[in-house]
Amino acid sequence: MSVSRQDAAAALRDIEDTQARSVTLREYQHAAPHFLIWGVIWAVGYGLSDVFPRQANAVWAALVPIGLVAGFFVSRGRKPANGLRYGASALALFVFIAATFFVMAPVGGRQIGAFIPLFVALIYVLRGIWGGSRYVVAGVAIAALTLGGFVFLRSHF
Amino acid sequence: MGAPDEIIHQQVRLRIMATLNALKDGERIEFTRMKAILEATDGNLGAHLATLENAGYVAVEKDFVAKKPRTRLAMTRAGRKAFTNHVAYLRDILDGTAPEEKTSGARQ
Repeated sequence: MSVSRQDAAAALRDIEDTQARSVTLREYQHAAPHFLIWGVIWAVGYGLSDVFPRQANAVWAALVPIGLVAGFFVSRGRKPANGLRYGASALALFVFIAATFFVMAPVGGRQIGAFIPLFVALIYVLRGIWGGSRYVVAGVAIAALTLGGFVFLRSHF
Repeated sequence: MGAPDEIIHQQVRLRIMATLNALKDGERIEFTRMKAILEATDGNLGAHLATLENAGYVAVEKDFVAKKPRTRLAMTRAGRKAFTNHVAYLRDILDGTAPEEKTSGARQ
């Protein structure tokens, strides 16, 4: 058996495409538990904040650490060092958001409630641009829902 | 210069080997995940895995997890060597250091 130049090039492209797809799907698999954790946290958090607006700060103060701990153990389960990276990433996000609100002060509850999911949406879209179209879809959906709620559901946002 | 590996060169089997080659040593991938990556049917994937297993290129492990059957795949050392040699052969063709077939070969 011998192989034409054309077939050789096609085979090498096939190998590259398959390996890239494998990496992408594996990253989706690793990201899925985090999407689930924070999806539930946000649904419960925003729901309870709407029903009990005066307790909104307490609601988020309770839920966010739960999400962080859950995410830490999920990350650590794959590889111990990932737990530290997860924690460091969460800290960096927290510091950035706190610094932003400090610089942009005064900000109200509606702005805070919209800014954080919009920022997360941006991270997803940027991540997806570099590999993983599903991240782009998730990011755009989060941004659209956030802006839609901010504009059209003022009494609940 | 190397020689082509007829078993690996078939398109689905090449993709199976490419997927397994990306795994770290000792890492395995589940059959269902391989199926999702290759977008293949159970029968098609199973047939090609059997060919690779018979050639000694792929190790297939079957067990149960919570009473559900699980099939995991990994490349053997022989398989990794064969895949590496085949990729080197393909690159040699593009570099012009290996003889090529002037007409297109069949990669069904």
